[in-house]
Amino acid sequence: MIKSTLINVKKYSFLIQQLVIRDFKVKYKRSVLGIVWSLLYPVLMMAVMAVVFSQMFKFKVEGINYLVYLMTGLIMFNYFSEASSSAMISVVSNFSLINKVYIPKYIFPVSKCLFVLINFVLTLIPWLGIILLSYVGLGQYTCHLNIYYLILPYVFLCLFLFTMGMGLLLSCISVFLRDIIYIYGIIITIWNYLTPVFYSVEILPKDLQTIMGFNPLYRLLDAARQIVLYGQAPSLMNLIIIGLIGIVSLIIGGLVFKKNQNKFIYYI
Amino acid sequence: MIKLENVSMKFNLGVEKDFSLKQAFINILSFKRNKKKKDFFWALNDINLHIKPGEVVGLIGSNGAGKSTLLKIVSGVIKPTKGKVIVNGVISPMIELGAGFDHELTAKENIYLNGAILGYSKKLIDEKFEEIVEFSELRDFLNVPIKNFSSGMIAKLAFSIATIVNPEILIVDEILSVGDIKFQEKSKKKMMSLIKGGTTVLYVSHSLESIKELCTRVVWIEHGKIVKVGDTEEICDEYYNKQMN
Repeated sequence: MIKSTLINVKKYSFLIQQLVIRDFKVKYKRSVLGIVWSLLYPVLMMAVMAVVFSQMFKFKVEGINYLVYLMTGLIMFNYFSEASSSAMISVVSNFSLINKVYIPKYIFPVSKCLFVLINFVLTLIPWLGIILLSYVGLGQYTCHLNIYYLILPYVFLCLFLFTMGMGLLLSCISVFLRDIIYIYGIIITIWNYLTPVFYSVEILPKDLQTIMGFNPLYRLLDAARQIVLYGQAPSLMNLIIIGLIGIVSLIIGGLVFKKNQNKFIYYI
Repeated sequence: MIKLENVSMKFNLGVEKDFSLKQAFINILSFKRNKKKKDFFWALNDINLHIKPGEVVGLIGSNGAGKSTLLKIVSGVIKPTKGKVIVNGVISPMIELGAGFDHELTAKENIYLNGAILGYSKKLIDEKFEEIVEFSELRDFLNVPIKNFSSGMIAKLAFSIATIVNPEILIVDEILSVGDIKFQEKSKKKMMSLIKGGTTVLYVSHSLESIKELCTRVVWIEHGKIVKVGDTEEICDEYYNKQMN
């Protein structure tokens, strides 16, 4: 099954590529700054949140650079929320196409996750910029580039797999239950607050901290932050856990999608 | 080669109203599935059909008889409820032209996007790009977003992309003559050359004349069932008489 899936992916890689290019062209159409927005937007978002949380609410995390803490959480969580949301509606919004031409349906959620991934990779540029600026005194503490940064691609890969699994699952559910599109908007907001994007997990009561361990996004964020802010490698256990998070999510999402995709056509 | 064995296709009619969280919730509360609705119908019922390579088969029947459903099943867009479909060869479904055009993109970008959707490789599109542009007569508008195109121009572009390959199996819903008079003639000629080029063709049309002109065999479908299969002239005439009475 895996082999045939891979052959299939190879066969349709050109289509996926075209869909991703399409999304890019449409996204930045008629905007003066165009792709620069991909770089600028997360910085501005971070700046706003930094002012709100560190100046107004006096949030800080002891001993580390809060700006980098915030931005790391922000770009990773935003990747998840944006990619999973757009993947969710991708099948429904391409119904007219699905009804006319044979295309493997997983192409739509997968291409959305990839499109947002490219955007995510672009946001790593300003993110790295903030880290480097911490050397010259941006924020209270300096972040040190270190060898463990080489683990980051693995962490991001796990995030990507987890998101893709969720995207497949959600896009499948949305075919049968359009309400999920609204429900998920609420869920993602709740999830945002339940994930330590702008606060530190230490400010939570002890038992809540334990429960936090079950939040996959917290696990992923935590692994990345450990590398970037504390200059430590995540424990092997944690690395295995985030790997499992990605793979299990992809398997569940993939299986649910595969099992139901032939019924999509009845729910147009 | 196309082979259909005992193919049946069931559609639910009430499915749209049925599916909401509210309804699901009500169903859970009342501990039963909503049984009173049995709004389904068989769009196709036990279809057996064998089309040999190189055959040009026409499909006739009144509206809603199941012709388009049959085409969709053969092209793989829908899976039949029951039965088996065997299709050997590269299919080019010309059921709907221009599916997957993005109106924000330029004509050039759409050639690649639409080509990819139709399953062409990048190499093929690169090679045939000139030919597509030439045939579509839209060279001057290549870098214009197609939302600014007239519907005729869009149809010309779509037709040019769809007919650029020589498929092993061609599925056609109505003769696709689009655009202005000149282009209509050109597209008709192109279709004829594709159909007569030795490919297997499954052709739906309400024009009995073009069926008679092209097809080696005719399948007459009514209410999801095959009424008759056989000689073109004979069945077309019988169908015509039946329809007119």
